[in-house]
Amino acid sequence: MSNNEVKLRSKSGSIAAYSALVYVVVIFFSILAIIPFWFMFMNATWDTFNVQKSIKLWPNFKHMHQVIDNWNNLKERSTFSFAIGFKNSLIISVSSTVLTVYFSALTAYGLSVYNFKGRKTIFAIIVGVMMVPTAVNITGFYRLMISLGLLGTKWPLILPAIAAPSTVFFIKQYLETSLSTEIIEASRIDGAGEFYTFNRICLPIMVPVLATQGIFSFLGSWNNFFAPSILLNRSENKTLPLMVAQLYGDRYTDYGMIYMGLSASVIPVIIVYAFLQRYIIQGVAAGGVKE
Amino acid sequence: MARGTNRSPRRKGLSYTKYGYIFIAPFVIVYCLFSLYPLLTTFWYSTANMKTTTADFWGFDDKEVYYDRYLDLTKYLGDDPRIDSSFDNNVGMKLREYNVIRNFFLVQDTADQYAPLDSGVKNIINFGTNDFVSQSTLDMLQQCYDNDSMEYMTADGYSELNAWYKNYSTVNAEATNMQSSMSKIFTTLDAIANPVSASEEEEEAIEITPETIITSEEYQEFLDKLADTSNFDENQTLWMDYLASEYADEVSLWTYFNKALDDQALISDPTFYFICEHLQNPSAYVAEEGEDGETSYASVGSVSVDFMSDLTAYLTGNDWIDVVNNLDSFESLEAYGAGEEEVPSGADTTLYEDIQSLQNAGIINVVSYVYDGTTFAPATDGENANLLYSLENYNPREISDEERLVALQISDIKAYWEAQGRADIASFATYADSADAVNVDKYITFNGEFSIKKYNQFKEDVMPMGWTETLADKFTLDFYDDMNDVYMDNVRLVNQYKLDNEITPAEETEAAYEAAKQMDIDDHELLQYYNAWQESIIYTRMAEEKIDNPPTLYSKVDASKKYLCVGFDNFKEIFTSTSRRNTVFGAFVTTAEMWVVGFVPQILLALLLSAWFTDTKLHLKGLGLMKALMYLPNVITAVTVAIFFRRLFSYSTNPDALPPVQYILRNVFNDPDGYNFFQKAWPTRLIVCFINFWMWYGNTMIVLIAGITSINESLYESAQIDGANSFQTYTKITMPLLRPILLYTMVTSMIGGLQMYDIPQNLNMNPALINFNGTYIRSTQTVLMYVNNMAFGKAAVKQVGIASATSVLLFIVTTVLSLIIFYIMRDKDAAKAAKAKKLARKAGAAK
Repeated sequence: MSNNEVKLRSKSGSIAAYSALVYVVVIFFSILAIIPFWFMFMNATWDTFNVQKSIKLWPNFKHMHQVIDNWNNLKERSTFSFAIGFKNSLIISVSSTVLTVYFSALTAYGLSVYNFKGRKTIFAIIVGVMMVPTAVNITGFYRLMISLGLLGTKWPLILPAIAAPSTVFFIKQYLETSLSTEIIEASRIDGAGEFYTFNRICLPIMVPVLATQGIFSFLGSWNNFFAPSILLNRSENKTLPLMVAQLYGDRYTDYGMIYMGLSASVIPVIIVYAFLQRYIIQGVAAGGVKE
Repeated sequence: MARGTNRSPRRKGLSYTKYGYIFIAPFVIVYCLFSLYPLLTTFWYSTANMKTTTADFWGFDDKEVYYDRYLDLTKYLGDDPRIDSSFDNNVGMKLREYNVIRNFFLVQDTADQYAPLDSGVKNIINFGTNDFVSQSTLDMLQQCYDNDSMEYMTADGYSELNAWYKNYSTVNAEATNMQSSMSKIFTTLDAIANPVSASEEEEEAIEITPETIITSEEYQEFLDKLADTSNFDENQTLWMDYLASEYADEVSLWTYFNKALDDQALISDPTFYFICEHLQNPSAYVAEEGEDGETSYASVGSVSVDFMSDLTAYLTGNDWIDVVNNLDSFESLEAYGAGEEEVPSGADTTLYEDIQSLQNAGIINVVSYVYDGTTFAPATDGENANLLYSLENYNPREISDEERLVALQISDIKAYWEAQGRADIASFATYADSADAVNVDKYITFNGEFSIKKYNQFKEDVMPMGWTETLADKFTLDFYDDMNDVYMDNVRLVNQYKLDNEITPAEETEAAYEAAKQMDIDDHELLQYYNAWQESIIYTRMAEEKIDNPPTLYSKVDASKKYLCVGFDNFKEIFTSTSRRNTVFGAFVTTAEMWVVGFVPQILLALLLSAWFTDTKLHLKGLGLMKALMYLPNVITAVTVAIFFRRLFSYSTNPDALPPVQYILRNVFNDPDGYNFFQKAWPTRLIVCFINFWMWYGNTMIVLIAGITSINESLYESAQIDGANSFQTYTKITMPLLRPILLYTMVTSMIGGLQMYDIPQNLNMNPALINFNGTYIRSTQTVLMYVNNMAFGKAAVKQVGIASATSVLLFIVTTVLSLIIFYIMRDKDAAKAAKAKKLARKAGAAK
């Protein structure tokens, strides 16, 4: 009896030690995930002299105006223009996300509601091309953009968003479980047209999956670098990642300013993430993101 | 009735199905246009002869401009004495006339490189309040900036900037010179204060004393040399007389050195060495009036002092150590020399006096003397260096960061203003409608984008001196066609000349080989005869081929006007050409290696964390927050992360400007040299791997947690009842059931990893090289970086064919990987059911 008790107690003791170890490791990795951003933000509050002098892990309390100085330097002395980059990124990301979400929903709806000829083949092809990286056709795409006269504009980064195979795939999977034909039938009996049925009745039903897919589409577009770096060559059209990429290119390096630029590109994403992280993580867990 | 009910839904169904096509139409159209068509054209390019740039591809609808820019005729139609052809005759104009066009592109390239408006002018405007430049110049710069052109820059405005820059450079150069002088002085002193201990052998040698010096043969020879004045030229005599009267206080040096024979103490006198040193290394100049009335300086020739090495050795070992040890500023000199402290102005008498005493002792020789017609005097101008004089008048001025910055900006503007060819155009070209010199700035673009419109305007407006037509009239497609004919003729002639004069006919070399075979020589020599024979065959064949079918001039820049299909030549090149194979395969291997090294720790950590997060016994709190934090790096722009790590790991040894990692190495690990990560291949790669690991383990973890939680709970319960512990449950239940998800994660990550681009591209622009099968390749160049470099890189010759072929290889690899994933992921039960259904249908049909 007493022997058993000791065994039990030692077992619970070892579990406590074990979970303490687990906590240490898990907290270590949680901190590792955010420390670079902390470092970035803190350094953005110091001037270049202090940034170079030592490692700064706390804000510059004495001279808080340095933040504003760094920001002004970033605006005036570097080729980094947050306003332009942010505007361009926003235009491209928002419009491509809207296009992706709407047209993918339309396509997925068309594929699951109507029993037309070749439907299965088309869906099989969509699943097949899901994994094809968009980057492999870049030389052909570039040439096409020259022919269409769209090179250097934002259109090459917006229009192709209409066709997003993986988004179609995930929306269709969702529709198969959550869209009942009764609703559509009922709507038809009430005399609604097909587009009306889709826009007014079925689209609201799809909101959860559209939101998840929209978030990933937006992040993908916002963080995209490869295609914009090749297709956008004029400074007034550059997106935020392109602006960030040329931060180091300035010949006079003001590190306070560089950290300010990096922070400026990170903060919008972190704000969005703070509000949407639950949906994002649910989306990832559901396999809703393509790596 | 039955018929009616049967028909109406079908008709209804039929009428609705068309909407299916309508609904998917946008997707299909856009996919075909923006993905499928480019993919197919990429395939097509991979089989096309697009190794070199083609005007068509790069969107140069205006081919003349394209040829003007890339077809440098001086390279292909230059002088060739062999066929008696000259550039002037070939092209029908003088080189200088043709160079108006070449110079335009030189200026444009300089503008692209230095971006004088975007960095130079813009920043000076921002600094305007600091009184670096006058208001009028500032207005001028503002005008330049507002109009996006340097044409508003006036010569006056530029000369003001240039004067400021010159002034800055002088101050800067003075400080640098002063520092290097101090550094040199310190090296001399250091050698005296810390003499290298002589080896034993030398110690055994006779010890040098004043006695040995005077009694040596060298001393006697030196005296004999002094006695005969005909040994010296006029300037040397002047110089020696000066030394004798000013320092030795004797009639002549001969009497002075004779006196030392009796008075050995004289040798230890600093003056004695001073004279010897200034005889052997005179820094003395005699002014001469040139014919053109300008003064030039002739330096006084050296008089070799034969016993100098003994004397130096004696003094170094005895008297000088005391002199050096008694210096007040010995340590400061070290700091000045190393640049740790700023050299003080002449007001600092300690330093001045120390250097003066060293000079007087002859230990250093930093004062120059100039003969002004009557006597020598220490130089007082910059032309003949005199450190003592400079030091006396030295007034160091601290250069502010702002000044350095402005200087940097002005140097950009200078680079453009003094661009090669810019002045040439102004001096040699006029506007077609007037005799004014051309202001080329008007036609240059400053935003890094070449403007065909502006260039065409340039061609229309400009005439080289002596021409009656504009450049646009001359440089037409017809002109290039003519040049092509000339080029082809020249190639024929050159090759005919080679056949006639340079290449030994194959018959001769063959005969030589046959004759050599008969002789008694070793195989190695015989092989040379054989090789000579084979070479002449090959060279003859090549020359004949070029005569029959000479290459066109266009082939130099434009492989063909159409996409000439060459089948699989691009792939053949990738697989057979050693260097190409190594670069392309090296890029694939690099990408794969970086993926593997990042992925293995990523999946292991994700497995561990997911096991912990789903362990019901642990009951971790704050799980949602931790998941959210660990996933965070994945949503951040990869470019930002790369630039941040680039700064983190960059290299510097300057203690005042240490990047973070170098700071830790220095202050925590006490390693003053630091470690230059980006100079070595694997350290750079490991940083890329770490970033990938850090960005993706959270993602993998969440996918695995989802996988584990979807496993039926009852399996675990029954395992627990059977007495399995956590580890056993994990290995026997979780792992096997997780396998499809693990494979899915691995393959998707692999496909993503193959497209690695943002991080290596932005982490470091000049990564270390590695040796891959004998070819040096960039250690972090991934496949997409290679494609980008080949097709869109900075090189004038864009290799679109190779880039496309590499893309196709990437496509094939990813497709194979995708097929693997679908094979793994397919629903086995559903597949079986479908097969059974099919069989049943077949059976039914058979009935």
